[in-house]
Amino acid sequence: MTLDATDLSLTVDGVDHLKDVTASFQPGRLHTVIGRTLAGKSTLLRVLAGLQRVDSGSLTRHGADFLTTPVWRRDTAMVYQQFINYPHLTVFDNVAFPLKRAGVARDEIRRRVQESLARVGLTEFRRRRPSQLSGGQQQRVALARALVRGAGILLLDEPFANLDYKLREQLREEFKTLFSDQGDAVVIYTTTEPAEAMMLGDVVLVMHEGRIIQTGPPGEVYDRPATTTVARIINDPPMNIFTGRIAGGRIAVDDLQVTRVPAHLADLPDGTYQFGLRAPDIALASAGLQAEVTFVEISGSETFVHLALSGTGFVVQIDGVHDIALGDRVSMRLRPERLFAFDHSGALVRSPSSGPGSPEGR
Amino acid sequence: MSRLYATFKYTLISVWAGFVVGPFMWAVLTSFKDANGVQGGATYLPWVQYEPTLTGWQNIFGGAGGVDVVRPFLNSAVITLVASIISLALGALAAYGLSRYRFKIGFIANSDIIFFFVSQRIMPPVVLVVPFFFLLQWANLLDTIPGLVIVTVALLLPIAVWVMVDFFNGIPRQIDEMAMLDGCGPFGAFVRAILPNSVPGLTVAAMFCAVFGWNDFFFAFRLTFTEIQTLPQAVVALNSSIPPWWTLSAAALFGMSPLILLAVWVERYLSKGSLPGVIR
Amino acid sequence: MDGLRRHKSMFLLPGLLTLLLIIVFPLLFTIRVSFSGWNVSNPEMDFVGGANYVKVLQDSRFWAANLRLVLLAGGTVLIQYLIGFGLALLVWRNVRARRLWRVLFLVPMMTTPVVMAAVWQMIFHESLGPVNDMLAKLGIAPVHWFTEAGPALAALMTVEIWQWTPFMFLLMLAGLLSLPKEPFLAAAIDGAGAWRTFWKVTFPLMAPVSVSAIIIRLIEASKLSDTVYVLTSGGPGSATESPGYYLYLRGLKEQQTGYAGSLSLTYLVLMVITLTIVAALLARAFKVPRQSSKAKEQ
Repeated sequence: MTLDATDLSLTVDGVDHLKDVTASFQPGRLHTVIGRTLAGKSTLLRVLAGLQRVDSGSLTRHGADFLTTPVWRRDTAMVYQQFINYPHLTVFDNVAFPLKRAGVARDEIRRRVQESLARVGLTEFRRRRPSQLSGGQQQRVALARALVRGAGILLLDEPFANLDYKLREQLREEFKTLFSDQGDAVVIYTTTEPAEAMMLGDVVLVMHEGRIIQTGPPGEVYDRPATTTVARIINDPPMNIFTGRIAGGRIAVDDLQVTRVPAHLADLPDGTYQFGLRAPDIALASAGLQAEVTFVEISGSETFVHLALSGTGFVVQIDGVHDIALGDRVSMRLRPERLFAFDHSGALVRSPSSGPGSPEGR
Repeated sequence: MSRLYATFKYTLISVWAGFVVGPFMWAVLTSFKDANGVQGGATYLPWVQYEPTLTGWQNIFGGAGGVDVVRPFLNSAVITLVASIISLALGALAAYGLSRYRFKIGFIANSDIIFFFVSQRIMPPVVLVVPFFFLLQWANLLDTIPGLVIVTVALLLPIAVWVMVDFFNGIPRQIDEMAMLDGCGPFGAFVRAILPNSVPGLTVAAMFCAVFGWNDFFFAFRLTFTEIQTLPQAVVALNSSIPPWWTLSAAALFGMSPLILLAVWVERYLSKGSLPGVIR
Repeated sequence: MDGLRRHKSMFLLPGLLTLLLIIVFPLLFTIRVSFSGWNVSNPEMDFVGGANYVKVLQDSRFWAANLRLVLLAGGTVLIQYLIGFGLALLVWRNVRARRLWRVLFLVPMMTTPVVMAAVWQMIFHESLGPVNDMLAKLGIAPVHWFTEAGPALAALMTVEIWQWTPFMFLLMLAGLLSLPKEPFLAAAIDGAGAWRTFWKVTFPLMAPVSVSAIIIRLIEASKLSDTVYVLTSGGPGSATESPGYYLYLRGLKEQQTGYAGSLSLTYLVLMVITLTIVAALLARAFKVPRQSSKAKEQ
């Protein structure tokens, strides 16, 4: 019942859209694919749906070749980032469309469409056209249509990215409930938002420049990002990465001693490392390292302060709204127990959740 | 300033409207004249300058010594209708293929195929008429409606392709893709998901087909003789250097009437707003 | 879209093959016949080499007709563009009885050119037509519309402008109606006047539509022959002959099929070259970015 991709590659005009993508998608699980815009997420979904050819690699379903299966026989439903519905059909007929194509009996269609519309809360809008609905409602129609036929593969390409923040959170919540009924379907959900990927996914796949660079349960990916790139992608704001030296029980950036070496890094040999620290793990303090404020973002209940410390940029997340002016000099303190250590190539050496002496296995 | 501008604007509009309406007015006036009303020089006011008669109109509807325009009218209608439907069907299919798929035959790509279609419009009918004559003679279709339909398709198909390629390019591809994911084959996706959303484009294409089909003169002029006469032929046959202008005018007005109604229809389509409102 | 390669031909081929079937024979026939001496007294597909083409080069009447077409098509299309765009701007918005004007301005293109040419012939009639009658009321001597070269050309161009300005109007109005609103709002916020807004916003946005409208009209206008046939029969003398009408004279009236074939092909080659150059020049004049292939690639 799995959907297995092996070494899928696609190059267009010299740019790798997919590069040696290997992944096994399991039935009954929700896979979130996280990556920045143009990381290859949409391309991957289009290949899985049969809408895009590949240069090489293989794709199997239940162990049988799937690449040569035409789109309309792949038993695959898809929800696009743009609100795509059939403009000429009513909401009811939009949702009924795949069932009619599958030759489901009329009464059965009626029942299932009504059930589906009730689940997304659109019963009273069933006679409207998509163009008479709000963006959120249009996307619910698309969701209802994708869910109604119980397709074996359900692909969602940043389905809520075009919605405003509040609606996005709400639909994300609903989606979790909606999905709980999907049984044995392989569900793949792409997103650029770390919180979404972590919250929804049973399995998280991190994509970058056409490659899958890490796969694992959300907790594992979050706690042990395999590389600095993963660490940046799965954190919002991206994890602070800086180069420093361990020497004499201290960590120094350039000649500036920034903190002591915490317990979980204590057994690392002296040398140069890349360190990672999440934005909430840096605090502004009354005394400590002097840094210059380069930018301030206030988002709801949090303030993101961009700091420059001897040429290295940091982003600090602090609770509450703070009035900090550009160019101010402030003191910051790192929480050493939260430090990640990566080697010069960017591979994870030690994370806060691994105890001392337990090297990171891959 | 704005008052001056308004005056200026409505003056321009009125002047052009007068220029547009003038020939029709003259045809209407003339259609109610007889020899007395025409031969003394230009006259404008019925009852004052000339005595209106219905001779012209009687002549075209089977009055004694008149001409038959009803049969040519029906011929024109059938030829235009059938040729337009064929052109729209073939043209929409081809345009959809060209809009959605990539063709590569040697160095020939999509844009070249589109150019091939559209370039047929460069060909003056006169160039085609002689070979068409032999073609239809060989197929035993000279002086028949099917023969004229075939050559008219050559005129209309390029128009249909031209209009529809642009139109289909404006419909999001995701709609076709979704239809296929929902279980339609490529043809099913076209018929069930795209065609129903293509009414505005098909309307415009149909309008152009109607105009160019109905108004064709040269093909009918040279490829039909006694059996089939189209309306433009029938009217031109009346155009001798001097009267019966009243019959000519009546026939001209009668022959133009269906397409003038088309103008009203086209305007409605324009005012309703085109594609963006439909697709969103 | 993979797995669809087998299907894509199904869309294109019916139309493409139909057109090829209809068009290929006439083209091949014309090419072949242009190397023959086929005429009314000798209807044979013999072979006379390039004799017809040599004759074409020396046929000053043909070349004069081509030059005249530059005026007839180029001149009228330019005027149609200016008037059509102007009218579209006038009835685009903020005008009373908008729909009435729009319908009126569309009507002439719906009429049959040969039929209207017959009506115009009555109107321009030198002794019985209203034009000369009104000129006389203004104290102007009657104009010999069909017996003097200048007036005959003017009459022909008037008819062309009357008939086809609506086509330009339609394309330009459709273009205006599909323009985005934001640039106009921005211009209004910037306090740009009507004149500035037109040159900075409307005109650049309409440039692509303008170029394609002009090219379409040039293609259609270059075929001018029906109207000439009815209105002036090319006269007086050959003063209003268009290439299309001249082809008709040689090929159909005099039935010099072979010679007309070589005239046709020469004309077609000339047209394709001229239109290609004109299209490139127009795109540059209107500062339209070079169009890439419209078919989206997958």
